[in-house]
Amino acid sequence: MELSKETLQTNKLFEDLYDGKQPRRIPIVSTADNAFCLEYAGFNLKTEQYSVDENLEAIRKATADFDCDAVFALYARFPHLYKILGSTNFVPGADGFLQHPEVCGLEVDEYDEFIEDPLKTIWDKVLPRIHKEIGKGGFEGQKAVSKAYHSFYETMGKIGMASMQMANELGRSTYSFVGAISSTPFDVLSDQLRSFTGISADVRRRPEKVEAAAAALLPLALKAGILPHSNHYNRTFIPLHMGPYLREKDFARLYWPSFKAYVEGLDKAGVGANIFVEQDWMRYLDYLNELPQNTTFMFEYGDPAVIKEKLGTRHILTGLYPLGILKTHTKQECIDQAKFLIDKLAPGGRYAFGFDKCLLRLNDVNVDNLKAVLSFVKEYGKY
Amino acid sequence: MLDYKLLTQTLGDLEEEQVIELLKEFVTTDPSEAEALEAVGACQAGMGIVGDLFEKGEYFVGDLIFAGELLTEAINVLKPVLGAGTSSALGTILLGTVHGDLHDIGKNIFRSMSEAAGFEVVDIGIDVAAEEFVAKAKELNSQIIGMSGVLTLAIDSMKDTVEALRLEGVDSKIIIGGNPVTKEACDLIGADAFTVNAAEGVKICQNWV
Repeated sequence: MELSKETLQTNKLFEDLYDGKQPRRIPIVSTADNAFCLEYAGFNLKTEQYSVDENLEAIRKATADFDCDAVFALYARFPHLYKILGSTNFVPGADGFLQHPEVCGLEVDEYDEFIEDPLKTIWDKVLPRIHKEIGKGGFEGQKAVSKAYHSFYETMGKIGMASMQMANELGRSTYSFVGAISSTPFDVLSDQLRSFTGISADVRRRPEKVEAAAAALLPLALKAGILPHSNHYNRTFIPLHMGPYLREKDFARLYWPSFKAYVEGLDKAGVGANIFVEQDWMRYLDYLNELPQNTTFMFEYGDPAVIKEKLGTRHILTGLYPLGILKTHTKQECIDQAKFLIDKLAPGGRYAFGFDKCLLRLNDVNVDNLKAVLSFVKEYGKY
Repeated sequence: MLDYKLLTQTLGDLEEEQVIELLKEFVTTDPSEAEALEAVGACQAGMGIVGDLFEKGEYFVGDLIFAGELLTEAINVLKPVLGAGTSSALGTILLGTVHGDLHDIGKNIFRSMSEAAGFEVVDIGIDVAAEEFVAKAKELNSQIIGMSGVLTLAIDSMKDTVEALRLEGVDSKIIIGGNPVTKEACDLIGADAFTVNAAEGVKICQNWV
C-alpha cells in the first residue's frame, strides 16, 4: 500500500520517537478499547461487539473524530472468539463488557510436567480447562479449536488491513502501539495458569518451581511477541501486572530475570517494546532502566519528575495523564493537567502524550474534554 | 502450653511451616475450648501485624492473599478443638462486587482480613445487582455494607446501589473499595467511606462498631 504524505509525516513522529530523537511535535498515542469506540458510534455492546465489521466501523469513526496520531482503538480481545471457545478467562459482565476473572489453568501438582514441556501441558491440560468448548474433547473439542483458529486469523487479517487503510486515509500513523501483544512469563504464569491467588501462595511455598516455570515460558513469550511484521517501530505491547504485588526479593528472583530476558530477546530480534507499567512501579525504576535502550514505558502511577530523571534520557515515556479527570473536571482543568505533564516530561523528546489507563467505556470520560485535551496537545506539543 | 505471642508473631511473619507446627502441637495437648479460642485470637492478632506491615509498605498484595490462605489453614487445624460454641462477632459486614464488574481478588482480601479482625462477613459474590444488595441488607440488617469494584464502570454501579439502598431505608454504614475509588467518587456515590487499601478498610469498619 502506498502511504499518503500525511501518514508518512505522522509515521516520522514515531520513528523519531522510537529512535530517541526529538520529533517535530509530541506524538499522541491512543490506548482506547474497542468497547469505547462501539459505544461512541452508538452501537450496543451486547450485540454489536461480536461483529468484526461493526467494530471496525466504530473504530474508524473514533479515529476520524479524535485527533490522535494512530488508529484510536486497541482491538485485541475478540468476543466472538471467546464465544466459540467457551472461554472462562474472558467473559462479558451483565452489560456485555469483557473482563478477565480469576482463572486457574494449571494445578499445583502439574508444575513439573509444565516445566518439562510447557507447550504440551498448555495444549493437553490448560486449554481444555480454561475453554469449555475445547474441554468437551473428541470431535466437539477439535471442532472448537479449528473454528477458533480460522476465526482468529480471519479476524486478525481483517483488522490488519482495515487499520492500515483507515490510518492512511485519515493521516494517522500505520504503527500501532500494539503491533503484537504478549505478557511477561511471570504474568502468563499467574494470570492464565496459576491465578493471582495461586501464584501468591506459590511464591512462598515453592519459589523454585515458579522460577523454573517462568524460565520455561520465556521461549513461548518470545514466539508470541515476535510477528512477521514486528520491528523497531511496529512494537510489541507488554502489559505488566504482578510486579507491584510482590516483595522486592521475590520480584528480583521470580519476576525480573525472565522479564528482562524477554525484552532483551525482542531487542535482539530488532523488535521494540511498548510496556504498560500498570499500578505503582516506583520502587522498580532502576530495574526498568536496565532494559534495552528506547523501550517505551506507559506509566499508570508515579511522580513524573522522578520518572523523567531516572528513565527519561535512556527510554521513552508516556502515560501518567489521569484519565478519570476527563469525566470529573472542567475543560480548562483538563488542559492544565496536560500542560503540567508536558512541561515535566517533554523537554528533550523521548515522550509521547498518553493516558494512565486504557479508555474502556464511553461513560469513563466527558468526550468534549477528551477532544479539547487532544487538540491542545497537538498545538502545545510542537518542539 | 502454646506461646500465644510467638504464634502471633510467626503468623505476622507469614512463616507457614512454623505456624502450622505450633498449632498441630497445641492440638495434641487437648486444649480447652477457651484456650483454642485464645489461639484463634493470637492468629487474628497476627493478621493485624500483616495489615500493619502492608500499610508500612513492607508487605504487598501477594502477601495479603497468602496471609488469608494461611489463616484459613490455621483455623482448619484448630477446628477439632474449637467445639460448637463460637465467640460473638464484632459486627456483620455484607460484602459484594457491584454489578457489571466480575473482579473478586480485592474483595476476597478484604473479606479474609475483616474476618480475621472478628467480623462476620456475608459475601454475596461478584456482579451483584443493586436489588440483591437491598434484599440481602434488609434480611441481615448488617451494620456495614462493603462494595468492591475494579473497573471505572463500578463507580456508576456503586452509585446506583447506594441510591437503591438509601431509597429502601437501609441505613447501614457503607464503605467502597477498589482501584477506581477516590474521595471524589466517594462523594458522588454517597458512601460513608472509601479505601484502596484493605487493611485501612478494616480499621475504618472497626471504628464504626
